Amino acid sequence: MATLSSDLIWEITRGNSSTLVKRKQAGGVSFSRDPLNLKNQYNRKYEGLVADKAIGVQPGEEGSVILLTKKAGKAHQPATHISRSEIPAKRSTRKTYSAIINSTAQRDYRTDLRKEAVARASAIRKSQKPVKASKPAKARGAKAREEAEA
Amino acid sequence: MSRPTVTIISGSGEASKDTAPIPNVFKAILPIRPDIVHTVHTGMNKNRRQPYAVSEKAGHQTSAESWGTGRAVARIPRVSGGGTHRAGQAAFGNMCRSGRMFAPTKVWRKWHQKINLNQKRFATASAIAASSSAALLMARGHNISTVPEVPLVISSTAFADAAVAKTSAALALLRAVGAGADIDKVTKSKKLRAGKGKLRGRRHKQRRGPLVIYNPDEDGKELVLAFRNLPGVETSSVYSLNLLQLAPGGHLGRFIVWTSSAFGALDKIYGSTTEPSALKKDFLLPSTIMRQPDLSKIINSSDIQKVLRPVRGGAVSKRTNVQKKNPLRNFQVQLRLNPYAAAFAKNKEGAKKVEGGKPERVPASFPEQLHEN
Repeated sequence: MATLSSDLIWEITRGNSSTLVKRKQAGGVSFSRDPLNLKNQYNRKYEGLVADKAIGVQPGEEGSVILLTKKAGKAHQPATHISRSEIPAKRSTRKTYSAIINSTAQRDYRTDLRKEAVARASAIRKSQKPVKASKPAKARGAKAREEAEA
Repeated sequence: MSRPTVTIISGSGEASKDTAPIPNVFKAILPIRPDIVHTVHTGMNKNRRQPYAVSEKAGHQTSAESWGTGRAVARIPRVSGGGTHRAGQAAFGNMCRSGRMFAPTKVWRKWHQKINLNQKRFATASAIAASSSAALLMARGHNISTVPEVPLVISSTAFADAAVAKTSAALALLRAVGAGADIDKVTKSKKLRAGKGKLRGRRHKQRRGPLVIYNPDEDGKELVLAFRNLPGVETSSVYSLNLLQLAPGGHLGRFIVWTSSAFGALDKIYGSTTEPSALKKDFLLPSTIMRQPDLSKIINSSDIQKVLRPVRGGAVSKRTNVQKKNPLRNFQVQLRLNPYAAAFAKNKEGAKKVEGGKPERVPASFPEQLHEN
């Protein structure tokens, strides 16, 4: 049995898929729920469900970043198809990015997604930082005068 | 990549050393046609309908007559008599209160659709072939992240001697082979249906789980009773496969759990593209027109590449967001635009006096000469 080509799978699933999120707002944009989709956009380039090789970057526990890739020749074995590696939070951001690139684009694995993978990892790292408490607002005008008197 | 065999998984979930040859229905030469599957599904789905219609008498159970012209009311039939509010009200028309509906529904509507047998067989074969692609299964929404292999074939020894006759045994079996997540998904998905369907015997909606396909000759029929109370799980004999189960909603990629004997029977049932099926009269498996559906493989093949002209020019990268340099201030940029600027600056051409000095002043007699007339 041959593996179905990703072009054929895309033609079958492009109108209807469990990962497709279609809304009427914003001109009917199509988003994707696929963990292997780096931009969450439902199109041929980014949809990882369809592709033979795909990269996924997901937030992990305690500030880590999880890199997902599809293993070659395992398309029929869903349980072992996706390899998963965790980059811990203590790793610097630069090293995180180079780890992602070195294990994907540097090895000729979806070189077209290099930038998107790094951008997603960066966004995830940024979102995991603790939120800084904003300074209390400085009183102005009548309130400031009132405070000065008191 | 060709995979001639599929691993047979034992009832306890371990991969056995046994393998089964892949039946011809799963081979890549079989076309997967979502359009045909969809139209056949639409037709087949209509064939279970029961006729319904409004009562033949509805809206006509009154002896209304038109009052004719001349009484300053519309000529619609009006209820006769007096002594009640109903008297004098318009009746019968579809625009009237308690009138009949427009074009009352009839039980002799065309409820059923004829679908060509060959088309039905094509769609069924297509749906079976699609069930071997993990990507299509996931696109349909099945949770197969723990399934060791698709197509998932379980050894028939697990069903021998009515071993799976109880629902607990059936559930344990499905969990062991990694189909538990899909059943859990179904269990969680049960929701109250929106609308009137609730009152019409369709109270809840839920997802579909795995379809267990067995061979009644070898696996027995006890497993049907064992599986039937599992939410979303359906069973089907390999000899009577139904497109409504193989592609629910007309969408390809149902998660199928095969017993090994059912899997082995597929070649007998569907034959191949050259050998007619043993059980279906005059049926050959369809074959694709396009032997290589991988577009990038076609484009990158040497046959195509050798007839293409080489790429002209080198790689040109478009420079975006660069600062515009002012050539009047930046001499290097000016040189790029005007190569003469180098010589002009070197010879100090800009500072030179005009050759021959200032022009001679016109003689005082000139205006007179000009106006001489």
